[in-house]
Amino acid sequence: MADSYSPNSEPTTRTLLRRVLDTADSRSPRRRLSVRAGTQRTLPETRLSWRLRSQTKPTTKRRSHGTRSPGRPAHSQARRHLEEQTPRTLFQNILRTAPESSILKPESTGKPVPAPTAAQPPRRESSRSSLELQLPELEPSTSPAPALLAPGRRKQRVRLSMFERQVDQGQPVAQEPQETADASSLTSSLNLNFATPLQPQSVKRPGLARKPPPRRAVDVGLLLQDLRDASFAPTGNSLRTSVTTVPTDTALEDTQPFSQPLVSHSPAVPHFLPHPSHNENEDAERTVSHRTQSSQLGLQSDEVTEAVGSQDAAEAEELDVPSGEEDPSDSTAGPEMASSNPRSLQAEQPPLFSEPPPRPDATLRSSQAVPARPPPRHRAAGHRPRPDPYKTGLNHYTKLFRFYAKMPMEKAALGMVEKCLDKYFHRLCDDLEVFAAHAGRKTVKPEDLELLMRRQGLVTDQVSLHVLVERHLPLEYRKLLIPCAFSGNSVFPAQ
Amino acid sequence: MALSNTVSQKAKLKRKAPRSFLKRVFKRQKPHLRLEARGDLLVHLNCLLFVHRLAEESRTNACENKCGVINKDHVLAAAKVILKKSRG
Repeated sequence: MADSYSPNSEPTTRTLLRRVLDTADSRSPRRRLSVRAGTQRTLPETRLSWRLRSQTKPTTKRRSHGTRSPGRPAHSQARRHLEEQTPRTLFQNILRTAPESSILKPESTGKPVPAPTAAQPPRRESSRSSLELQLPELEPSTSPAPALLAPGRRKQRVRLSMFERQVDQGQPVAQEPQETADASSLTSSLNLNFATPLQPQSVKRPGLARKPPPRRAVDVGLLLQDLRDASFAPTGNSLRTSVTTVPTDTALEDTQPFSQPLVSHSPAVPHFLPHPSHNENEDAERTVSHRTQSSQLGLQSDEVTEAVGSQDAAEAEELDVPSGEEDPSDSTAGPEMASSNPRSLQAEQPPLFSEPPPRPDATLRSSQAVPARPPPRHRAAGHRPRPDPYKTGLNHYTKLFRFYAKMPMEKAALGMVEKCLDKYFHRLCDDLEVFAAHAGRKTVKPEDLELLMRRQGLVTDQVSLHVLVERHLPLEYRKLLIPCAFSGNSVFPAQ
Repeated sequence: MALSNTVSQKAKLKRKAPRSFLKRVFKRQKPHLRLEARGDLLVHLNCLLFVHRLAEESRTNACENKCGVINKDHVLAAAKVILKKSRG
């Protein structure tokens, strides 16, 4: 139990309370029950009391337990055992001592500065713990200056300074501005302030009264509007005019300093969005009219998906146009390309478009917005559309095709080869999936590959897979694929 | 061994397999499936063999039409045949 009372800090209340409570504990076995019962409830408070006491002196858990637990749940206990001190005074003592920072009493002006900082983490707990206790008492004590619920953290420093001032002035009731989330320990100990209005604060300290939210909302809305406008006006005049008009409007209307980022954003947007292609002229006009009417995020997201989807449709169309026959596979390839496009595009424009368009919506819209589009696509330097990495991979195999053909080839034939490869890859994946499912697996293993090659007629009883590997793959890969025995009775790769 | 030998051994691998490309393609197609580490090498082997057969077939087609240049049609016809063959 608490044996050592360090007289350094709060000699009067805390030590007094401790002595009282210790004696109370020693008297009755009820303390244990209360401790056990109270531990669950007072676990945060014990932690809180740790932190609180840690600054002043080393405190044992039991001591904090002892001090905390009887005080909290057992009003009756306190009343019964500590007849010499009224429960009211006891509670007051507890509340004042509970948060380290509660040194509002002129007598306990121990550490005003470190106390609030220490008390800030356990604020919530202290407020919660002392809430009920404080309720009956603090109402009368709620001073005419209610806690100032300042929303921003930047006010903490101000609050501290204010608090210090008040402490120096010897005001028992500190009118600290509070965070909306948690009540400060001080205020919780003295005032219950959870719904105090900001007006008194503004009246007293007009410099602190600020209203950021309404301004920010307007800016965001305007910015999004600009983005939407810029994104859907594809090229040339409509875009330029819209872009120029909108920022000027905003500049005229919005006299806030935040209007400038809007202006800077809007010219950046057309660079960002190269894919709005010509077939989206109609969309752009529609969207321009929409924009003037409505400025909603939802609409913007829809239009974004439309723009993306229509561009995907155009790209898919390009692929589909060369081949006439293989329609089903083309149709599968098209929406796949379209669907994967929005993903990549979205990934490349996270800061601008926070809402990822749903893929089915993109595919639907791509099917809707279909008009024939001229091939040239204006791409910004920083923007990499999805086909590029895919095409570079396919190009790898088209080069091999050229090498294997050993004959001059037309350029169009190479495009044909790419299409074939695309189809081949789709079929390959499907087959592998079927084989893996047949084996009850979700991972495609080399055995599935071998089975596929066997069915394709590449691997026969005469020609094994290893033979093919040896023939066609370079040494490094051969070493990885064909198990070889090494010294020490080891085989690599392990079977 | 001499240092130059070890350096040359680490030289560029000709006929590199685009392993990440293959893995990405598979993932795009079948996101719910997994491809093993060595599986993509075999997929690369399969692609090589497919391209090889396709090239041979298209060369045959071009030669049959007595063209010195491989045309789109040759490739198309070849693709039909080879894709059918590698149905699996």
